[in-house]
Amino acid sequence: MTTLESVWLAVLGLLLAGYFVLGGYDYGVQMLHHRLGREESGRRAAISAMGPFFLGNEVWLVAFTGVLFGAFPHLEGSLLSGLYPLIVAILVGLVVGNTAVQLRGRARGERSRRVWDMLTVVGGGLPALCWGLVLGLLLHGVPRRADGTFHVGPAEVFAPFTLLCGVGAALLFAAHGAAFLALRSEGGLAERARAAALRLLGAFAVAGLLAVLLSVAGAGASVTNPVAAAAVTAVLALALAAAWRSLAAGRAGRAFAATCLAAALPVLLVGAGHYPYLLASSAGHGLTVSRSAADGATLKLLLAFGVVLIPLILLYQAWSWWMFRGRTGRRHPAYF
Amino acid sequence: MGASDLARLQFAATTGIHWLFVILTMGLIPLVAIMHTRAALTRDPGTRAVWERMTRFWGQLYLINYAVGIVTGLVMEFQFGLSWSGLSRFAGNVFGAPLALETLIAFFAESTFLGMWIFGWGRLPRALHVALIWLVGLTAYISAYWILIANGFMQNPVGYEMRGGEARLSDFWALATNPSALLALAHITLAALLTGGVFVAGISAWHFARRTADVRVFRNSLRLGLLFAAPAGWFVVTVGNLQWPLLGRTQPMKLAALEGAGTEGLQAMFTKQHGAGNYTPSHDWLRGSMDVMVNIANPLSIVLIVAFVLLWKDWLVRFRPVAYLMTALIPFPFIASVGGWVFRETGRWPWVVYGKLTVEEALSKVSSTSLAVSCAVFIALFVALAVTNWTLIARFARRGPDGAHLGAVEPLPEHLPQGAPGSGSQGREDKEAVPSF
Repeated sequence: MTTLESVWLAVLGLLLAGYFVLGGYDYGVQMLHHRLGREESGRRAAISAMGPFFLGNEVWLVAFTGVLFGAFPHLEGSLLSGLYPLIVAILVGLVVGNTAVQLRGRARGERSRRVWDMLTVVGGGLPALCWGLVLGLLLHGVPRRADGTFHVGPAEVFAPFTLLCGVGAALLFAAHGAAFLALRSEGGLAERARAAALRLLGAFAVAGLLAVLLSVAGAGASVTNPVAAAAVTAVLALALAAAWRSLAAGRAGRAFAATCLAAALPVLLVGAGHYPYLLASSAGHGLTVSRSAADGATLKLLLAFGVVLIPLILLYQAWSWWMFRGRTGRRHPAYF
Repeated sequence: MGASDLARLQFAATTGIHWLFVILTMGLIPLVAIMHTRAALTRDPGTRAVWERMTRFWGQLYLINYAVGIVTGLVMEFQFGLSWSGLSRFAGNVFGAPLALETLIAFFAESTFLGMWIFGWGRLPRALHVALIWLVGLTAYISAYWILIANGFMQNPVGYEMRGGEARLSDFWALATNPSALLALAHITLAALLTGGVFVAGISAWHFARRTADVRVFRNSLRLGLLFAAPAGWFVVTVGNLQWPLLGRTQPMKLAALEGAGTEGLQAMFTKQHGAGNYTPSHDWLRGSMDVMVNIANPLSIVLIVAFVLLWKDWLVRFRPVAYLMTALIPFPFIASVGGWVFRETGRWPWVVYGKLTVEEALSKVSSTSLAVSCAVFIALFVALAVTNWTLIARFARRGPDGAHLGAVEPLPEHLPQGAPGSGSQGREDKEAVPSF
């Protein structure tokens, strides 16, 4: 593997991890807004908490797909078509959820607001669950055929380990979203979010532990680098413990930092666990980084743009977070 | 229907419906940016209030449309990998780069800055707030450029060389200045400005016909809309015609099939070069889509110039039937532009990358059942989105500037439960726009 390929692999990982962290709390807030908000003003406060960042968060996924196509075209074709039903489900969830978040404020009357609320919840839960299923399948290894293509069917998706990963991701994103609300909203909503985050972190710990036990028993993840995978899993456990302690102590900022780390780590788990493969077969081996990367000329060209663009993106995104820092009160510009 | 027909239908429906939102986004954003700038630069409080009301009213219609546009775009980004993985295998080295650059250069900035613009009312310094909407507009057009570079490569592959059965990037400059992309960019830019202008003028005329009290808001809007629509309507036809010689050079088969003459020679040539097969696209589709585009664009460009002249002393909106006629024009630019895309894309058949990769070769190995299910789901979803979008746009367009939520301080009284604190007189105070922006 060349240096150029490793640089783009790092960028690809960064974009996916960024999407899990930022899109992750969006999905969490979407799943929880109805319950934690209690009535319409509370629900609007929950949605408003993520409002200024919502559009900017979802772009990380689009950028991930763009870079996947630009820098790793061979992985792109085989991965997306192989995971066809799951990707379609994720997209349906995203379409429904994004529309609902952006248009629910335009609803007229109680009835249509209820419909938008339901779509908001489904649009957060479905992608979270399906991303977990995708991660589970990747960790377990996919049934690649001789020509490099593969298809996942019900047998793979409904395996206990994959399902645990799916449920785990939904719980983790929900906990992450609750930690975000505990940090950014105020009053009763923030307090309810804190309590929910503690419960959800506990539930995620149980799901995670079961997944680890299944893997040890040989029915779960089969990675090429067990040591690296175990190390990442240990850091994930530490992040969860840190989030738990900070929430219990009422330190919302630290707790959110810890859940951010926890949301990003699954990407590293798949990457480091399978290295040098990007797509591992259930029967061992798989598609290596070099085989999936684009031609050197393309990578070089993209790099020339990337060294300017990626710091710039991080800069203006950080600027927008800084501009809209602080808790959202009752009187603030809101739109969604 | 076979797998390839289903995949084509899915792609056509996704792109076609996505385009309906994109063209309005691109057409409205310069107008909203100009309104916002005028509001920021005007000292007279009365005039400023008018331009600010305009910004918030048209800005909200823009945002409703953007919300639906962005989600259909998300699906677009995944389409290539889902059903056309042969394209990434064959041309990923070349074709993927513009798509990656589009998200990194343009889309990232567009979404981040739009979020800041929406929530920045009364919060950000005025100059910065106005700069944000211009950045949103600029990045929208940069996005369009990179997407058309990718599309241009499919129409007229340049800047690559074949090695090991794969296209590899050899000349980025040639790829980035592909005439097939640049002419199309000019054409769709003008089409978007035409669409946005007709949209704004048509809704303003409707309010005049209803004898609105907001005369200044809608007079300014009507003038601004036609100021864009009339020249754009004229030049979109001119630039469209500029593409004929290029098509003659790059895709002679498209022209031959359109005329229904001279296809035999080209068919024989393609057969000789690429083996037996049908290389002639459908005459009916080409003729029909071209007729739709031309028969709308030509009369429309003349009507718009007449309407522009009738702006003098508000003659255009003094008689209700004429005002309603302006409103009735709103759908036509959309229909014409879809005709244009159908012509451009069906005329490329059977090629995904012209002369290099066929539809059958590019198709993913996905079962017809999966494709049929996803196709039905996406089409149903997108039609529902389109209906929702246009219902909401119509509702908020009818309500006028008083109904704009954009830039108001929440919670609005209508969102509070009856009798709750804040729903009385205090609530009305809440609804007032933030005084400075």
